[in-house]
Amino acid sequence: MTDAVPALEDLFRHEAGKICAWLVRLLGPGRLELIEDAVQDAFSAALAQWRFEGTPQRPAAWLAIAARNKALDRLRRETRLESLDPNDEAAAWRLGFANPQETGKPDDTLALMFVACHPALSDEEQTMLTLQAVCGFNARQIARAFLATPEAVTQRLVRAKRRLRDLKLTVEIPEGTELAGRLAGLLNAIYLLFTGGYTAAEGERLMAEERCAEALRLVTILCEHPGTATAETHALAALICLHHARTATRTGARGDIVLLAEQDRARWDATLLARGFGHLRQAMAATELTALHLEAGIAAVHASAPSFAQTDWRALVHYYEALVELKPTPVVKLNAAIARAYAEGPAAGLAQLEVLAGNTRLSRYAPYHAARGDLLLKLERRAEAGDALLQALECPLNGAERDYLMRKLRACSPSARQAHS
Amino acid sequence: MPSFMLLLHRPLERRSMADPETVAKVTREYMDWADRTRAAGRLKGGSKLTDDAGRILRNQGGRVAATDGPFVESKEIVGGYFLISAGDYAEACRIASECPHMKYGSHIEVRQVEEL
Repeated sequence: MTDAVPALEDLFRHEAGKICAWLVRLLGPGRLELIEDAVQDAFSAALAQWRFEGTPQRPAAWLAIAARNKALDRLRRETRLESLDPNDEAAAWRLGFANPQETGKPDDTLALMFVACHPALSDEEQTMLTLQAVCGFNARQIARAFLATPEAVTQRLVRAKRRLRDLKLTVEIPEGTELAGRLAGLLNAIYLLFTGGYTAAEGERLMAEERCAEALRLVTILCEHPGTATAETHALAALICLHHARTATRTGARGDIVLLAEQDRARWDATLLARGFGHLRQAMAATELTALHLEAGIAAVHASAPSFAQTDWRALVHYYEALVELKPTPVVKLNAAIARAYAEGPAAGLAQLEVLAGNTRLSRYAPYHAARGDLLLKLERRAEAGDALLQALECPLNGAERDYLMRKLRACSPSARQAHS
Repeated sequence: MPSFMLLLHRPLERRSMADPETVAKVTREYMDWADRTRAAGRLKGGSKLTDDAGRILRNQGGRVAATDGPFVESKEIVGGYFLISAGDYAEACRIASECPHMKYGSHIEVRQVEEL
């Protein structure tokens, strides 16, 4: 009966970021906390009132008006305690006349992103604040994405917002050289939003898809604003589109993992792929090759291969080698080794993997052990493959990943199976 | 068409510690019922009442005496109301019986508005 109607929480989340961006433009970034409280007040009021009156004709406008009024209430309450400074007086005046139809302007969202991704905040705080203020996720949802408690997330966000308030920022989209410097922060936050969403933490597939969709929405806003539509922005957009196009085929009917090799390429989202390649062309206007360009290039090689077997592994090895130069992280090196295994055979890939043995970060990273297990299995070294897969199972995993590894483990020797049970 | 008042009684201790997802889900059910009833041309209005039970005024020998609600014996208060129109009392009861409050509240009092 209610299939076509979005769950209230989804409706609220989608509107929260837009209303917040609109009110931040009117009241200034220093009032971010008050604004978020006002938006929450509006949602509580909606829950109480809609229950008895049914769905309003225009729910989004209803919420925007309610949030505006709640923000005014809160400002007035403060006046009783201590008089507002002239800026707040002016803001309250503007607020009273603000048109709720004006929510959802991309420029407001962009300006709010520049606030959330202020260099005074750490990378993690920038991403958290983007998730909260721009995307409308609550502390509980953010906590799940960061494997933290909601209380800890709330604390960090409160402190981050206090720091921003003390900076007395104005809400605007920076220009010129300042813009170039600040844009990197935005791209990084969207990248983290996306990659964090791409491999979901424990049991959070839905949240992950929402995060990918948000990353796509935000990068699209950047691509459509002349000041932020740089080649690197287009590279990020290409990367997100080309990966996101595969979302539907990445999990099976029961939520199990479907590897790239087995994905039904006919079901990849053709519209998103076309968009991705369009962004990639615009990314090529760059004067310098960035890590994002290479990652987008890698995604494009996969996206344009007619089948897994026909993948251009040589090109991937080439891209990964260049990426290792720019971004020599263990995870990039791991992927470079996997590409080499496909291009030159499992023995060559395994040799490159063994160089990474003993890396502390990879020792707790399931894909490293899973890749070793896979290559050892291809080389018919079943006992060692079983050991590697058992090590993978010791790492943090979500349910689908665990199931996949258990299936893989069954292909190994009986001794490996017994060792685990 | 006659009008009916649906008084939604609920246990006083209801203000549960339900998580936000449950609250949103339950609200959605009430909204769906309200939307359906309105689309059928039957819902005329409705409101939530504040959670505090209010006071009860009595005339005691010409003086107004106020005591705290709710009635101690029932430990229940009216949490909200709907005003609906229906062909007769039986139809009003049928509409009310589909209201999710039958699941989440204690009971619904159905009263016909007297037309003079």
